[in-house]
Amino acid sequence: MEPIRPILYNIHEHYQWAEYACYALGGLTVLIFAYGVWRHVRQWRLGKPEPVVKAAPERIKACIKFALFQGRLASDRYALLMHLAIFFGMGVLFIGTALATLDQDIGYLLFKWQFLRGNFYLGYKLSLDLLGLALIVGLALAFYRRYVLKPERLKNLLYPTFPLDSFYLLMILFLIAGTGLVVEALRLAASQVPWAHWSPVGNLLAGAFRGMSPEKLKGTHFFFWCLHALLAFAFIALVPCSKAFHLVSSAVSIYLRNLGPVGALPVAEPAGVARINDFTWRQLLQFDACTWCGRCQDQCPAYASGSKLSPKNLVLKLDDQLLKAARVNGNGKPATAEAAAQAATAAPAPVAAPLHDEQVISAAELWACTTCRACEEVCPVFIEQPRAIVDLRRYLVSQGTMNKTVQDALNSLNRYGNSFNKSDRMRAKWAQGLPVKIKDARKEPVDCVWFVGDYASYDPRVLEITQATAKIFQQAGMDFGLLYEGERNSGNDVRRVGEEGLFEVLRGKNLDAFGKVQWKNGRKIIITTDPHSLNTLKNEYQFEGNGVTVQHYTEVLDELLQAGRLPLKKKLTGRATYHDPCYLGRYNGVYEPPRRVLRALGVEVVEMPRTRDRSYCCGAGGGRIWMEDTPDIKERPAENRLKEAASLVDVPTFVVACPKDLAMFRDAVKTTGNEGKIIVKDIAELVAEAVQG
Amino acid sequence: MNLIVLLKMVPDTVEELNVASDGKSLDSEYLRFKLNDPDEHALEEALLLKERAGGKVTVVALDAPEVDDALFMALAKGADRAVKIPADQASLGTVATARMFATFLASGGGQITPDTLVLPGSQAIDDLEGEVAAYLGEALSLPYVGVVSSVSPVNGKVVVLKEFSGGMRGEFEVTLPAVLGIQSAEKPPRYVPVAKVRAVMKSAKIETADIAPPESAKALAVERMYKPEVAGRAQILEGTPEDIAVRIASLLAERGII
Repeated sequence: MEPIRPILYNIHEHYQWAEYACYALGGLTVLIFAYGVWRHVRQWRLGKPEPVVKAAPERIKACIKFALFQGRLASDRYALLMHLAIFFGMGVLFIGTALATLDQDIGYLLFKWQFLRGNFYLGYKLSLDLLGLALIVGLALAFYRRYVLKPERLKNLLYPTFPLDSFYLLMILFLIAGTGLVVEALRLAASQVPWAHWSPVGNLLAGAFRGMSPEKLKGTHFFFWCLHALLAFAFIALVPCSKAFHLVSSAVSIYLRNLGPVGALPVAEPAGVARINDFTWRQLLQFDACTWCGRCQDQCPAYASGSKLSPKNLVLKLDDQLLKAARVNGNGKPATAEAAAQAATAAPAPVAAPLHDEQVISAAELWACTTCRACEEVCPVFIEQPRAIVDLRRYLVSQGTMNKTVQDALNSLNRYGNSFNKSDRMRAKWAQGLPVKIKDARKEPVDCVWFVGDYASYDPRVLEITQATAKIFQQAGMDFGLLYEGERNSGNDVRRVGEEGLFEVLRGKNLDAFGKVQWKNGRKIIITTDPHSLNTLKNEYQFEGNGVTVQHYTEVLDELLQAGRLPLKKKLTGRATYHDPCYLGRYNGVYEPPRRVLRALGVEVVEMPRTRDRSYCCGAGGGRIWMEDTPDIKERPAENRLKEAASLVDVPTFVVACPKDLAMFRDAVKTTGNEGKIIVKDIAELVAEAVQG
Repeated sequence: MNLIVLLKMVPDTVEELNVASDGKSLDSEYLRFKLNDPDEHALEEALLLKERAGGKVTVVALDAPEVDDALFMALAKGADRAVKIPADQASLGTVATARMFATFLASGGGQITPDTLVLPGSQAIDDLEGEVAAYLGEALSLPYVGVVSSVSPVNGKVVVLKEFSGGMRGEFEVTLPAVLGIQSAEKPPRYVPVAKVRAVMKSAKIETADIAPPESAKALAVERMYKPEVAGRAQILEGTPEDIAVRIASLLAERGII
């Protein structure tokens, strides 16, 4: 006898009305689901237009890696296993049900022929059974994790959908899987087919029902069948109302992720975002795609230091505002340029509540962000949290609402082009003490322009290192020059503080100065000391097209050492750890060159536990360097990081590659009482030591 | 209220200041000008008053380098009108400056209505005595209070807080119209984003009011301008605090001071 799938076992024969009811409910479920999805699409359309780069093959590949196989969950093995078990368990069971529907409604009803038969059917039964088991195991792991282990990051400040959503989701999936297995077990118990062992889990469970009378089995089977169907339909219909919607929105968010350089903020209104509908539709989609996993919060230095900011809660609040705005608004505006232009001319109706309300999003939260991008780097669904924070900060700046110290810095940057309240004419004063004069790149032809940056030019703690770096470049015979007083702050942090207009002015002035450079016919290279300058020059100045390459000084040192242009006079010894600056590593992917430099000098590089793309921010980025710490701070990010380095065995040197890091960590050495145990050195100091003897 | 703020540009001390070859003026090579700090506070106080009690803010300045930037900045912050008097500020002394403003205010340009407050900064680095504000009160025959740090409108008058040395403060009730020399606003001057200033530069206009400088423009002529000179009369005492104390006491006694 060939194994074959029974046609709606029991139901088809005895409860035909239920079969029809099932079709009717199924149809209704699909309609409700579709309506729910449409409502979300309408919510996204409340946002402003944003063009999306077309690159379907790349996007589909990313979807397979990050949506189907959840690539970004890999950092947490437990969560990955749990989530894959639930997702593939549920997914395969869903496909199984879909195949059964095809088998019956197309195969059997239309052609009187079923494809779920023979070995294929047995394989089908076995897969479904095992994945059903995987689903239940996954759900058990999830329950255990959420309600016994209770990791900090799963705690929510608010629930955009409804408070018990997480519990509901696990519970309904569990009930669907459970009732499904019971239905199978009851069927196997009643029909006792010879291939029952191909459904090992159901068959095992069937043992529990073997004593029942055929009449009782029939009735109980029908009851559980109905329950299973109702639960499954309810789950599907309610997907768009619950966080289960991330099944759809996460995939869409991953598909539409930013494919450009992560260091380039999109062009945006200087006035920033005041209400939820001031974000772009793609940003709204991202907020809606949040899975509440809290990986961002786990990485966030602001959260760890005890500030009010949690990137997760911020996104949840934005999603909450989106849902509220959608309830008030009904129809979304079409996200086209024409419609936006129309809306701009007509008085726009206040469709959403102001976001900058201490009860909604507090200024303290927004200012706490260091824009280190650790959150964005780990987000499984590619939400761009720092971008949203900068948008919200822009509004604060447009209203003049900011910390006094930030205001002073911006005033100084506006007037003198630096944050030190010093004359722009003093920018290259550090170069006066050098034995060999550095060229003025605006007056003499050069191969490279060294964009020194504010900290390396003005901060007395850094000047000696700047001079040492210049001597190294000179020793290697590099043909380079400076922009002298023509150089301005690059504007990277100005932009991230939210002062878009000032950023444009600074960029304009720097581009004017670069415009005067007479490049020789070699490679046109701009070297930066500060990774923050590197980021904006490389990604936001639009040099490409002019054939200009922007490099960090560690990349240049690496090239010089590799080319043998910097012969070592003294091989260094000892162990050191290297701190990846956010804007060099996570933002621009420069991880290897500084490490190669250290190894070339003879230093043994010992990694900290949080390294490379997981490097922990010093706390100075995004304009934080111009702000004071709040009095309720638990631990400064730099102190946290320095303790991490100090806990390494026999590593007396902490190497940095950013002038702001130097200032931050030298302070942290003192405030954590690690003087004498660990010393902070710029990588250029070590190079100078080795090549100058 | 009709709020009139007088703005003045002063040398920026962030830049190195040098004496010019004539020995009587500042070397203009590296000289840059910025808005006088107390004037920025006067503008802020005017904007706060406008927000609280309503009214119109007019900013007025004599011509000086970078003065247009200061006037546009004031408009971007919320001033309603900006007027430039094209007379070289640097060539006028405090009395002449006060007269210029008085003429402007008495002429159609800035009419003194019964609800007018004229708000100059209390002082400037080149007018530490705060003469302009006082002379202006005199020239307009209006009540004047200087070194003011808060202004509150009460029943058609204003109550002002004046600071005295030694941390003393006095509260005065002043009838309008009046001249108030502002030392500091109640809040630090607001920040105005660059995009807003640029938008204002495109859309707003600075009015000009031609006022002829008074006959005797300068009351005082500079004889000599010089940097502090090292006199070499200082005596450094060394030793333990006790030794030094004894030595100071005997030095004071020697010179008949004690």
